[in-house]
Amino acid sequence: MIIRGAILLCLVLTGCVSSRIEQSRSTVTGIDFDEAMVILGRASYSDRETKVSFTDCIESELSTGKTAIRLIPQNQFKDDLYPWFEPRTAPTSASDLSRLFAEPGVRARIDEAKVRYLAWIEGDTLTTDRGGSMSCTLTTFGGGCFGMSYWEQDASYQASIWDVKQLTTAGKISADASGTSYIAGLVIPIPIIARPGNAACKGLAAQLREFILDGS
Amino acid sequence: MFKGWSRPTGFYAKIIRPPLIYLPLLLILLTHGACTKTVLVKGSLPTPLVKKIPARVGVYYSKEFRSYLHKEDLPQSGTYHIDLGDQNLNFFRNLSTALFTEVIEIDSPELSDEQRLELDAIFIPKIVEYGFLVPAISTLAFHEVSIKYEIQLKDRYGKNLGDWAFVGYGKAESERFGSGAAVKEATVLAIRDGGARLATEIAPFLSSVLDDAEVRQRKELIR
Repeated sequence: MIIRGAILLCLVLTGCVSSRIEQSRSTVTGIDFDEAMVILGRASYSDRETKVSFTDCIESELSTGKTAIRLIPQNQFKDDLYPWFEPRTAPTSASDLSRLFAEPGVRARIDEAKVRYLAWIEGDTLTTDRGGSMSCTLTTFGGGCFGMSYWEQDASYQASIWDVKQLTTAGKISADASGTSYIAGLVIPIPIIARPGNAACKGLAAQLREFILDGS
Repeated sequence: MFKGWSRPTGFYAKIIRPPLIYLPLLLILLTHGACTKTVLVKGSLPTPLVKKIPARVGVYYSKEFRSYLHKEDLPQSGTYHIDLGDQNLNFFRNLSTALFTEVIEIDSPELSDEQRLELDAIFIPKIVEYGFLVPAISTLAFHEVSIKYEIQLKDRYGKNLGDWAFVGYGKAESERFGSGAAVKEATVLAIRDGGARLATEIAPFLSSVLDDAEVRQRKELIR
């Protein structure tokens, strides 16, 4: 009973998120049961880059369920192909793959791991607006919080899928999600949290799975 | 319930009720411990997939390089003791083995007569500078690390063939790791980045310098 109540309370206190998924396909896709995909976060030297938690979320979504896709963990793949997938050296387009495959051992290592697709994830979740005010007081007679504060977050991500066999870009998928979170102080603070990053992850992963498995 | 409890006496009283004179010392020790972060850098040791330079090279790792320790006192974040030693050394051992056809670790930057008969050149990596930034200073959401390396290449008689300096950079999310762990992660990435620069950007120069200097003793290594 307590668990049901807690679940219900969580559902009521979850903020609304609106999301949009778009896809563009360049080639026919498909994957054999022994072939694998690698999810790679695009790293940069600026202060904005795809967080590891987001690529971890995508990996977790894709590797579970009835239609799970065999994934090679990002760190293992980068170690196996060091130094060619570091932020400084990583290929920036599918056409760079042919140059990369000319390096000794690279093609053999990728073939050995049966990597069919590389999915590069780019994007970030940003707080675009915040406002309101809330103050909390604690005295010897008790305490409480009063007021309301909110913040709006915008998650915008893009996956670029490279076909390692064909050395081309198979397609692109973008996911945008936004939501506003609130904390209302009615003696006790009541949070109503929206998770646009999580919505973008689930949406992008679902579309990515469909893109790879459905083919055309 | 507490009827049987009595005030400790003798030896136990000394332990349970230490003299008040120790209290400030205890406080100093506790606060000092809370402000010092000891970071032991550990991470994976990938073997680079690169074309080997055809040369027999003696690699000299100085004592400073083998046990590099960075100490820095940051006003708002406390004192950091960052130990790069083993990770950095093992990383460069893998890297140099992948870069040259034959590698021998040497104890001195000067070769003995016997070693001169065997080796073509001497490869000496150095850490020139280590620097890091915490979010309290940079105002970014990352811990950042940069390591300035220098590579010296000498022929078997000690003549300098060239020096190359390069910087490895790494950053780690502060939210994902704690402060010490973020510095560790960023340092591992900076070492990797330095290695990537050496393997992809510097190695072609090393190869051409060795070609130009005609230092190779074995015919099969001469291109």
